[in-house]
Amino acid sequence: MMVQCPSCARLQEPRLICPDCKAPLASNLDCFAALGLPRKLQIDVASLETVYHDLGRTLHPDRFASALPAVRDASLRATALLTRSYRTLRDPAVRAAYWLELHGHKLAENNQRVPPALAGLVFEAQEELAEMRYVAGTGGPEAAAAREKVRARQLEVDGLLEQSGAELERVFAAIDGAGDPPPAEVVARLKGTLAGGAYLGTLMRDLRKALDSRTAA
Amino acid sequence: MSRIFGIDLGTTHSLIAVIENGAPRVLAEPAGGGALLPSVVAFDGDNQTRVGAAAVELESSGAENAVVIRSVKRYMGLGHTDLAPEDRRRYTFADTTSPVVSFKVGARAYTPPEISARILRELKRRAEAVLGGEQVERVVITVPAYFNDGQRQATRDAGRLAGLDVVRLVNEPTAASLAYGLQKLTEGRIAVYDFGGGTFDISILNIKGGIFEVLATSGDTHLGGDDIDRAIVEWLLEGVAPDVARKRRVWNRARSVAEAAKRALSEAERTELRLELGGSTVVKRLTREALERIAAPFVDRTLECCARALADAGLKDAPLDAVVLVGGSTRMPLVRRETARFFGREPLCSLNPDEVVALGAAVQAGVLMGAQGDLLLLDVVPLSLGIETMGGVMERLIHRNTTIPTSTTEMFTTAVDDQTHVDIHVVQGERELAADCRSLARFKLGPLTPQPAGLPRVEVTFLVDANGILNVTARDQRTGREHSLDVKPSYGLTDDEIERMLEEAIDLGEQDIEQRLLITARNDAVHIMTALRKQLKDYAELSDPAERERMEGAARKLAAAEAGSDRELIARLVEELNEISRPFAERIMDHAIQQAVEKRTLEELS
Repeated sequence: MMVQCPSCARLQEPRLICPDCKAPLASNLDCFAALGLPRKLQIDVASLETVYHDLGRTLHPDRFASALPAVRDASLRATALLTRSYRTLRDPAVRAAYWLELHGHKLAENNQRVPPALAGLVFEAQEELAEMRYVAGTGGPEAAAAREKVRARQLEVDGLLEQSGAELERVFAAIDGAGDPPPAEVVARLKGTLAGGAYLGTLMRDLRKALDSRTAA
Repeated sequence: MSRIFGIDLGTTHSLIAVIENGAPRVLAEPAGGGALLPSVVAFDGDNQTRVGAAAVELESSGAENAVVIRSVKRYMGLGHTDLAPEDRRRYTFADTTSPVVSFKVGARAYTPPEISARILRELKRRAEAVLGGEQVERVVITVPAYFNDGQRQATRDAGRLAGLDVVRLVNEPTAASLAYGLQKLTEGRIAVYDFGGGTFDISILNIKGGIFEVLATSGDTHLGGDDIDRAIVEWLLEGVAPDVARKRRVWNRARSVAEAAKRALSEAERTELRLELGGSTVVKRLTREALERIAAPFVDRTLECCARALADAGLKDAPLDAVVLVGGSTRMPLVRRETARFFGREPLCSLNPDEVVALGAAVQAGVLMGAQGDLLLLDVVPLSLGIETMGGVMERLIHRNTTIPTSTTEMFTTAVDDQTHVDIHVVQGERELAADCRSLARFKLGPLTPQPAGLPRVEVTFLVDANGILNVTARDQRTGREHSLDVKPSYGLTDDEIERMLEEAIDLGEQDIEQRLLITARNDAVHIMTALRKQLKDYAELSDPAERERMEGAARKLAAAEAGSDRELIARLVEELNEISRPFAERIMDHAIQQAVEKRTLEELS
C-alpha cells in the first residue's frame, strides 16, 4: 500500500522518510524494514544503535514542533515505529521471537513448560531457595551455608545463560545461512534454545530476588 | 512563529526561562524581585485572586476569609478517593459529581488545573513585562518524570486554561540533565536525583553525541520537602492540645516555622523554633542531627527508588559517570551525604538547584525551535500501560521505561453475537490486577455492524507521544476505516469541561477586571466623602448654608451608590461631588495660603 507524504503530497512506497522532501512518513512497516535491514537474525547491536540514533535525529517530533499537524502526526507515528523496532531487534531473544512470529510460528504455548534438560536443575534450585528461606531467621552458620549454596547456584545459572546466548547466535547463523524457508529442524532448534533461555532467565530473577531481599533484611 | 518559553511549574515555586543568544536564562520579576514565583494562589474574602508573593502576604496577614492554596501540584490528576485525611485538614474540597477534586472557594469550586493556570498566567505576565511586551504563547512545561498519564494531562489542561500552547511536557530530571549537558559538565551515564518540594524523581541517562537517552526512571509523586516539613510540624506540635494543633491557621504557621528551621539547618548546627499560639508560645530547639533523624525515613525512600531505577537501567553494579542533584531539598547536608554514599561518588550541584529545571526547559524549548543543533532528548514512559482483561487482570501493552514516542497495536473483537460496542479500560501501573493500578480512561469502541461473535476485527493502537501521554485510535482491519472512540477520563477533565472552564475563565477574567475597577471606584468615593466631612467640620465658616446643603446632598447620593455595585454610577457621582465642592475646596486652599502668609509676616515682624 502506497503512502502519501504529508508534506509534498506525493505517493511513496512505504518507508520512514519521504525520498523527495525528507519529511517523515507514517508507514506500516515490520521492524526489520523500519530500520532498513534484511530479515536476518544476526544483527550487530552497536551499528543498530547508530542507525536508530541517526533516524531518530531526523524523524523525532522535536524536529517538527512548528510543522503542519499532518507532518507532526507522521513524525510521531514514524518515531514510535522506529522506537518499537529498535527495542524489538536490540535484544536477541526478543528479536528471535519476533522473527518467528513474522514467519508464522507461535512460541507462546510451548514456552511455559520446563524444558526437560533443565528440570533437574530447576528442582534443585527450588529446594535450595526453600532451605535458605527456612533457615534465614537463625542467622547462624546454617543460614550462611544455605545462602552460599544459592549463590553458587546463581553462578552456575549465569554460566548457563551465557552458553544459551552463544547457542542462540549459532542458531542465528545456521538460519541466516539456510535457504528460505529455513528447514524445520533449525526452527525447532531456535524454539528450544529460546525456551531454555527464557526459563533460565526466570530462574535467575528468582535467585537474585531471594539473595537481594536477604541483603536488605 | 513566536519564541517558545520554558516553565518549571513546581510544587513550592515556579519559574519561567528562555534561550537568549544560545544560553538559557530565567526571567526575574522586573521590580528587583527574585526569579522564583511562590506556587501559591490565594483568594481573599471578595474572591479576588492573588498569586505568588502577594498570596503569601495575604496568608501571613491572617486574613479571616482568605483561602490559600499551596502545593496544588500534589492534587493534579487526583480523584476524591485519593484524598488523605491530611488533605482534608488543610483544604475544604467541593462536593461535586465530577471525579476530579476541586477546592471550595466561597461559592465556587476550582479544580487543580484551574489553580495551576493562575500560576501559569502570572508567569506569562511576568515574562511579557520583562521582555517589553513580547507575547508568551508557546511553552514547554516540566513535570515530574514519575507523573502518570492523568497528572500529565492535568498539567497540559492547566496550560490550555492559561491560554498557552503547550508544545511539550518535559520530565524535570531530564530537563535538568539538558541544562548540565549544555555546559559539557557531563557525558556518559549519569543519574539525576531530583528531590523537590512535593515530588521525587530519579532518572538514569546515557548522554552520547548530543543524544540524551533516558535508560530508566523511578520516583514518587508524593514525596518531597513538604513531607519533611510536615514531620517537623508534628514534632513541633507534640504536647499542644489537639483542638489547637488541628486549627488550619495554627498548622499553616507551624508549617512556615518548620520550613524556615529546616532551611536554617542546612547551614547552622542548631536553631530555635518559635510558634505563637495566641496567648502562649511554643519554643523548641532543633539540632541538625535531630532534623536528620526526622528526615531520614524520607531520604531512605528516595534511595529505594534509586536502587529500582539502577536495576531497571541494567546498571546495578556499573559505575556512573556523574550524579547530579536537583531541587531545593538537595540543599540538606543529609541528602548530599546519603546520595554520595549510595552512588559512591560526589554529586554535582554547580547549577542552582532551584533554577536548573527551568533552565533545562528553556534548552528543550530551544531544541523545539531548531536552535540547539543536534541535541535530542529520548525520554521514557515511567509506568507500564495496559488494559483490563477478563478476570480483572492487567495486560501490559507498553512496559515501563520504554523509550517514547512508542506505540503498540492490539486486536479487539466481540464476545457475543451482534455486539455493537467494545469497552476498553486503560490502566497504568505495575500491579497484576487492574483494580490495583491507576485507572486512566474508559474507551467505548463502536458502533460496530452486528455480526457473529468474534468476527469483527478492530485494531486498536495505543500510542504514547513525546509528552508521555497516551493516545488511542481504532481502525477496522477489514475496511481500514477509522473507528470512533468515546473517551471517558477516570480522573481528568473532558474536552467539553475544559471548553466550559475556558469560557468561564474569560468571563471571570472580565469579572475580575470589573471587580477591580469597582473596588477602585469605591475607594475613591470613600476617600472624597471622608475628606469633605472633615473639611466641613474644620472650615464651616468658609461655606454658606445653601452650598453646604448642595454638597451634603451630593455626598448622600454618592454614599448610597457606594453601597451598591454600579461602578459607573459611583464614578459619575464622585465626579459630580468633585465639581460641586470645587469652589469650597478652592476657598480652603486660599485660606490656607493666606494663613501661611500671615504667619510668615508675623514672624518677620517679631
